[in-house]
Amino acid sequence: MVITQEQIDYCMECGVCTGSCPISRMMSNFSPRQMIKRTLMDRDETVLHCHELWSCLTCARCSVRCPAAIDFPEFVRQHREGARKEGNLPQLAHHGTLQAIAALQARNIKQRRTEWAVDAGRFASSGDIFFFIGCAPYFEVVLKPGVGSGEVPRSVLKLLNRMGIEPVISNDERCCGHDALWSGDEEMFRRLNRWNLEVIRGSGAKTVLFSCPEGYTVFKQHMPKVFGELPFEVLHVTEFLARELPGAGITFKPYQENGSGGVTYQDPCRLGRQAGIFDPPRELIGLVPEIPFVEMPRNRENSACCGTTAWMECSSCSKALQLERLQEAQDAGAGTIITACPKCRIHLTCAEQNTEYSLHITDIYAFLLKQME
Amino acid sequence: MSESYEPKIVAFTCNWCAYAGADLAGVSRMQYPPNVRLIRLMCTGRINHAFLLNAFLSGMDGVMVSG
Repeated sequence: MVITQEQIDYCMECGVCTGSCPISRMMSNFSPRQMIKRTLMDRDETVLHCHELWSCLTCARCSVRCPAAIDFPEFVRQHREGARKEGNLPQLAHHGTLQAIAALQARNIKQRRTEWAVDAGRFASSGDIFFFIGCAPYFEVVLKPGVGSGEVPRSVLKLLNRMGIEPVISNDERCCGHDALWSGDEEMFRRLNRWNLEVIRGSGAKTVLFSCPEGYTVFKQHMPKVFGELPFEVLHVTEFLARELPGAGITFKPYQENGSGGVTYQDPCRLGRQAGIFDPPRELIGLVPEIPFVEMPRNRENSACCGTTAWMECSSCSKALQLERLQEAQDAGAGTIITACPKCRIHLTCAEQNTEYSLHITDIYAFLLKQME
Repeated sequence: MSESYEPKIVAFTCNWCAYAGADLAGVSRMQYPPNVRLIRLMCTGRINHAFLLNAFLSGMDGVMVSG
């Protein structure tokens, strides 16, 4: 990424990024604009040693608003590469277990990644449609009970089966490297995805479906930069369902509100701001008759991040952002929050535990499955 | 796998039982294979799953938790 002198000049006179940044509101010493200034104007090399570099959520709320078109998350990502080389490392959540799981997958190992699927539905070992499960089944094992991430792939498989599709799933699939990439470890990202490409090519798939927005953006946006054009179509499951579900002859039960309040949708940063997918999930929720859908004040491009990214730097700041979001949903009259990202579901569910909030947090696939007739 | 394959095993041992047992084996001059590397913990409650995974990442073939 190249930032021109003109962009820097505009940048120094602005500050929309810092004004928009959810972290800046919680941590007064964090300012995207100041970080650009220190790095590009002052040539201050201590930026690579500063801890703020790891505080950024890379949620892209700044970059979608930036009038000078500076991609601040990408700027942060590149500098994290440098910081890592200098020994400036982030504070990992869950003792670094999830990073260790990803690193182990970069090796020639035998996984039991699809064990859950035997009870969940039907699948194939080769075919046109590959369902990239992602790491959600691992999250279910590592994280505290009740966060429900394993329900995401189970629901997707069941939904696809109901539509008459038996997707390919594979034990040899690897982590998509999203977290490694955004933690400044591009080499790990490359190693993992060399495996993934081999596995997907071997299945003969023409379309790869992602239920996780992180895997989706990695394949859609980052993989072509490194590996060239991919020999298959990359679709998020919400895109695929919004296209295929209305004509699949499936009907939905009317929503039974029973005093549980409205239903709202949390836009994941990767799926929304980064990939521009705002409408398909809303169209899918709209397929359910009598759905009391409400929008939170911050929605679509202005949506709020679920508070942490890449399993690192989970702090009081993250908790504050998460609780603020739960309050926002409650104030909007929602009793149910639907997300399209396993991590949004995990983070909001985790934040809600031991609080007075009693919102039902679920993902769009589990929700649709429950409403099917 | 060749017949001479020797796995490397890391054992996380509790100070008060398993480590004391290994220590007793040592002072009693009992022989045991050098494949196992002991790491003493004050309690196996100190274990978290990252220890186990990082052992594999560091090249261990097996992990034993004893205590």
